Amino acid sequence: MSTTSATPPPTAGAPPQTGHRHASDLPDTGLQPGKLLVGALGVAVTVWLIGNLFLAFAYYPQWFFNSKILMGILAIIVGVGGAAVFFWFLNMAIEALPRRLEHGLMPYAFLVPGFSLIGLMLIYPTIQTINYSFANANSTAYRDPLWQNYADLFSSSAFWSAIINNVLWIAIVPAVTVALGVVVAVLADKLSERGEKWSKSFIFLPMAISFVAASAIWATTIYGYSAPGQPQTGVLNAIWVALGNEPQSWLTIDTGRLNSLLLMLILIWLQTGFAMVLLSAGIKGVPEDTLEAARIDGASEAKIFFQVVIPQIMGTIVTVFITVLILVMKVFDIVYVLTNGRNNTDVVANMFFREMFTNSQSGRATAIVVVLLVAVIPILIYQVKLFRQQEAMR
Amino acid sequence: MGRRPRSVLRLASAVLVSGLLLTGCLQDPSGSRGLGVGGAGLGEPEDGDGRVQILGAFGGDEEANFNASLKEFEERTGIEVDYVSDQDFTNTVQLRVNAGDAPDIALFPQPGGVFNMADAGHLVPIDEFMDYDSLQSTLIPGFLDSARFQGRVYAVPMRMAVKSLVWYPKPAFEANGWNTAPETLTELYELSEQILKETGAPPWCIGWESDQATGWVGTDWIEEYVLRMWGPEVYDDWIYGRIPFNDERIVEAMQAYYDFSTKDGWVLGGAKGIISTPFGDAMAPAFDEPPSCYMMRQGNFAITFFPASIAANLDDEVGIFVFPKDADGYDGQPILGGGDLAAAFSYDTDTIEVMKFLGSAEFGGPWAEAGGWLSPHRTFDASQYPDELTRQIAEIAVNADVFRYDGSDVMPREVGSGSFWTNMVQLQSGEKTPQQAADDIEATWPEES
Repeated sequence: MSTTSATPPPTAGAPPQTGHRHASDLPDTGLQPGKLLVGALGVAVTVWLIGNLFLAFAYYPQWFFNSKILMGILAIIVGVGGAAVFFWFLNMAIEALPRRLEHGLMPYAFLVPGFSLIGLMLIYPTIQTINYSFANANSTAYRDPLWQNYADLFSSSAFWSAIINNVLWIAIVPAVTVALGVVVAVLADKLSERGEKWSKSFIFLPMAISFVAASAIWATTIYGYSAPGQPQTGVLNAIWVALGNEPQSWLTIDTGRLNSLLLMLILIWLQTGFAMVLLSAGIKGVPEDTLEAARIDGASEAKIFFQVVIPQIMGTIVTVFITVLILVMKVFDIVYVLTNGRNNTDVVANMFFREMFTNSQSGRATAIVVVLLVAVIPILIYQVKLFRQQEAMR
Repeated sequence: MGRRPRSVLRLASAVLVSGLLLTGCLQDPSGSRGLGVGGAGLGEPEDGDGRVQILGAFGGDEEANFNASLKEFEERTGIEVDYVSDQDFTNTVQLRVNAGDAPDIALFPQPGGVFNMADAGHLVPIDEFMDYDSLQSTLIPGFLDSARFQGRVYAVPMRMAVKSLVWYPKPAFEANGWNTAPETLTELYELSEQILKETGAPPWCIGWESDQATGWVGTDWIEEYVLRMWGPEVYDDWIYGRIPFNDERIVEAMQAYYDFSTKDGWVLGGAKGIISTPFGDAMAPAFDEPPSCYMMRQGNFAITFFPASIAANLDDEVGIFVFPKDADGYDGQPILGGGDLAAAFSYDTDTIEVMKFLGSAEFGGPWAEAGGWLSPHRTFDASQYPDELTRQIAEIAVNADVFRYDGSDVMPREVGSGSFWTNMVQLQSGEKTPQQAADDIEATWPEES
């Protein structure tokens, strides 16, 4: 950086040290108050300027000719450039400190701004949510007793019905998705190159559809209902009626939680492509010689698949499984759009949304997400652990 | 390294905090001024700056028609009206007002939002700048009361929806010589029986399915019955929570609807059909040859859902009559409806001019001609409507003895957009009796806080 070029070159013969070369080569100039002041002031002014520019976008759009494009370009330039200037000044301020301090401080100085933002956007809201879950509907006072929201929650049958549904989703969707993904990946692998390309593209296609759009598609074309005697436009009812039955309103049938299963089918349809792509890459990565060796030893194809291929792609399988699992725990859109929890199809995330936005019950709503958060944590920990193990193995 | 990180963190957070504090230097020029509505009134309004910002929920064609309706006004007065549409209006208006960035005027699709804002002291009551009595004299009676909060009216209606309409396929009714204007519910039931007997087809098309909002059609039905059986006073007591939801009169109204809708062969598809047929498609079988069902009770917006071939020839294909009164109930023809309400957040001369125009019978000509819009004024020039059907709907509203706002829009959201919907579905499917449904809705009614 330019600050270093201004200082005298390193004395000849000083042994170069590993690591922090440039700083160590320079003589320790001790504290430089002027430079420190300029750096600190620079940091403050930069932050102030950037902040005010962004406020000006909101308050005085006429200064920018009310042009959203101009504001967007300015925001990118000033945001990125401003961040560079910010760190330049920050660097200057830290370098002005005595050597011993400078060394210790430098990594933190560069980490703290980013970490503070994460704290502001992620950690602060999490703590606040936990805090609000002990408070009343508009978060103005704590409940008495403190855990009343949780007590209400755990004693409500609607909540347990939602939990049962979530457990069903968790038990069924990730397993089926991964299984289908493996099957499709293996079968596609046996096709011609062209056939593989096309079949994979088709199966991957639903990934590009949003959950809401997918729900609408399934609701009208698959589960659709028309009164008896009318032409049945839903596939399921068309088949059902052709077999001589009365048309059914499928998503209202909660016998054996059929309606929940039908909703799960949509998510499986959406996610199989994702599972297939990752697993296919895993299968392609299985070394040919291991298969060759197994064949020479006279193993059947099934045996090769289960005892040679599967163990080698286990890491990918677990990763895909956990990704889908976390997605399933948060499942909301499909349930909200199609049934909004009617007929025993409610899930925890939809219940939260209803309490928060329909009923304006912040206390009860935050208690629900805290329960969800606690339930997700073990899976997250497991995933991080697994990731570390895999890294270590490489 | 023991002590250093802490001092580093302290320094960095000090820099960050001071940076954040310094950014507060800039203040929002149009921020909340605190209207301070008191008994003494607001006094003289401020001078306007020639610009009025309006926030509303509708976009697309409706936005274009709204702007067209304001064009002549803008040229005449020199006031520039800037309409901003927002799909998520209900949340956006709350957010902007809380952030001190309130629009000058907001067009609320439901009175509930007006009440929230009035309660928080953000709105200017209209009696500060409009002549309440002359407004009341041209509006359809009962409309202005829908925006009354603690004695004062906070918004003027600028658009009307009429819900108490029964639609029927005109050719079939003419060919069979059926009664196209039943005067009482009893006559309507006789007509239904006659249709069933003569054609063997169910007389009613009812569809409730509306994705996550399924059930709202049902709430309209119950409201119709409450209005007809017990009259507007009980209705008001009911929707404002002055009587419990499970009051025996309400339960009786629910029972009356339930009996009507589950009568053998009366509704296409039965209870299952009602819950699973999308509300927009409900009437489609009525245009079959011969019709698979004959009558649908739905608001004036039903026009937008008719098949293109029907919509092209509306006056010949579709007829309407008013959902009739109950001979044993309230002695008058009640109309259930809704509408957009304009409320003012700022108190300056320009905003007042725009509010006066929006609230007048002169507003809306171009919009009326384009279709899909009804004026809430009795004095509105009906020749501006595009077809006979629309004129007929306007006439039904004008001739109403009493107009009432859709009650589920007035009730607290956890009931009006929550338990009332879900319990209606459970009532219709036979999962709950009217008494059980009413009890369960009452249990979700929020306590006064």
